[in-house]
Amino acid sequence: MDERRIWQRVGDAVMIVIGLVWLAPLVFALLMSVRPAEEPVSTGNIFFGSTVTLDNYDAALHVAPWGMHLLNSVIFAAGVLVVQLVTVTLAGYAFARLTFPGRNLLLMVMLLQIMIPVGVLLVQNFSTIRALDLFDTQWALMLPYWGSAFGVLLLRQTFREVPYELEEAARIDGANWGQVMWNVYIPLSIPAYVSFAIVSISSHWNEFLWPFIVTRSENIRPLTVGLNKLFNTSDAGANYGQLMAGTLIAIAPLFVLFLIFQRRFIESFATSGMK
Amino acid sequence: MNVVGVRSTRASALSDDIDITPMTASAALPWPARLWRFVFPYVLIAPTFVFVVLFTLYPAVKTVQDSFYQPARKASEPAVYVGLQNYVDLFNPTHYLGSRFTRVLINTLVFAFATVLFSVPLALLMALLLNRKMHGLGFWRFSVFYPSLLPMRGAAGLWAFLFSNQIGLINTVLRGFGLTDVNWLGDPNTILASIVLVNVWKQSGYFMLFYLAGLQNIPRDLYEAAELDGASLWQQFRSLTLPLLRRTTLFVLVIALTFAFQTVEQLQALNQGNPADRGNLMLYFIYQNIQERRNWGYINAMTVILVGILLIFTVTNLVVFERRDID
Repeated sequence: MDERRIWQRVGDAVMIVIGLVWLAPLVFALLMSVRPAEEPVSTGNIFFGSTVTLDNYDAALHVAPWGMHLLNSVIFAAGVLVVQLVTVTLAGYAFARLTFPGRNLLLMVMLLQIMIPVGVLLVQNFSTIRALDLFDTQWALMLPYWGSAFGVLLLRQTFREVPYELEEAARIDGANWGQVMWNVYIPLSIPAYVSFAIVSISSHWNEFLWPFIVTRSENIRPLTVGLNKLFNTSDAGANYGQLMAGTLIAIAPLFVLFLIFQRRFIESFATSGMK
Repeated sequence: MNVVGVRSTRASALSDDIDITPMTASAALPWPARLWRFVFPYVLIAPTFVFVVLFTLYPAVKTVQDSFYQPARKASEPAVYVGLQNYVDLFNPTHYLGSRFTRVLINTLVFAFATVLFSVPLALLMALLLNRKMHGLGFWRFSVFYPSLLPMRGAAGLWAFLFSNQIGLINTVLRGFGLTDVNWLGDPNTILASIVLVNVWKQSGYFMLFYLAGLQNIPRDLYEAAELDGASLWQQFRSLTLPLLRRTTLFVLVIALTFAFQTVEQLQALNQGNPADRGNLMLYFIYQNIQERRNWGYINAMTVILVGILLIFTVTNLVVFERRDID
């Protein structure tokens, strides 16, 4: 059908334009980061510089303890995820398969957490952390996120779609609750777990406000805060080359991960329960 | 296992599809077992709830409570109860915070509205375009998605540079077309639009993924059947695609709104709320005033207002979409 083919081409063209526009800032950042720092301002030409240099990366690497920051980001994201996986599985099962007084009420409380993000309540949460004497520790970073309403609802959805006959069969064979989970529910819910892990990791990797408020020492702080420092200290000199280099350094790990897991990533979004 | 956004039953988010009753009659069990059976669900949800209560419920309640108080003159004295005075002050144009608050409030509402208005349909468009066979599909998907992987500060800093007057990319392009420079970040009329632009750029790709998943869950045969019935592409879209994406759209709208109200880091790069608060948003405004002790009551009152608005929007979304599901 010719009409089909025309729309196909139009669609392609539109997408290419959108894609290029979306990519432009990134390309630009790359260009900026490999040119001598004073260049754009001094030469007035923003596209082409005199030479290609890695000086900016070198300088940016010295502004903050990036290795430490990277480690902290990893610890933060991983530490949150690991505990979340446990709490989410337990509560997910309870809401999916068990009836108990107050269930609907508690479910609504969970919805509340989705609607009010932790960051909005940072004022009071900061006081709580202080009261627990956990200020400026890794624990302070992770604690608020260990109960994940989003995860519980996701797993609840997923577990419900597991045919109950499978659980029944396992119980008849003498399995206790733990074995039922391990052998029936969890294996069948892997796509949902993957989705959840991806959402959790990427949102905490880029978390800024909470880590910023709740930590003070450089060697506890994650990448996002280090990047902020880079921007704040360089702004005065408008050293764009360095800023771009720093930004690209901070985002590199996540980029690489995404490129590797790209198809898995998109697939998991397609096959997990989502409302 | 296809655990999907398209439901054939008209179940709402909270209702039961199947009711699982325990297999043994509870009366036949000895009491320790019965007690355990009763307690078990609570044991399961306890870990999650400890944290939800500690970091969401309790702070929310305490914030409301603290919004009715003013800190005493001396730090050692207890806070003074002032009832609704904090809220009244916030809307008082002669008050040091009140004179700014109304502007910030309006900005936040306009901003949320604009961001959602542009990013959600754009996300749908991208998903539609990227749900087909296309050369370099993975590449193009990445090209719109990657902004959401960037740390906000870095992305906003990058855009601050793009917006800058002499050497910014945007103004350079405009000059190339013979138009004059625009002072994106300095002009009170364009600052909010600039921030919206950055947000749309950053988030559309993220929302697109949800739409992609939703689209992929619509069975192909539905489209084939519609083709056979002679429906045009547009008709297929309106009567088939859109309704089946309702759940996804609800989800995306709620997330988009939540993000909009959490906008803070961009503002640090994009002129910090200036000029004259034309580019300022509520959470950032709260953050700006958090240091001073005398602001404690106001901070909490503002948070209550912020959360209140967010709740109203979210609940409205839920109600609108749930109701349509039933008919």
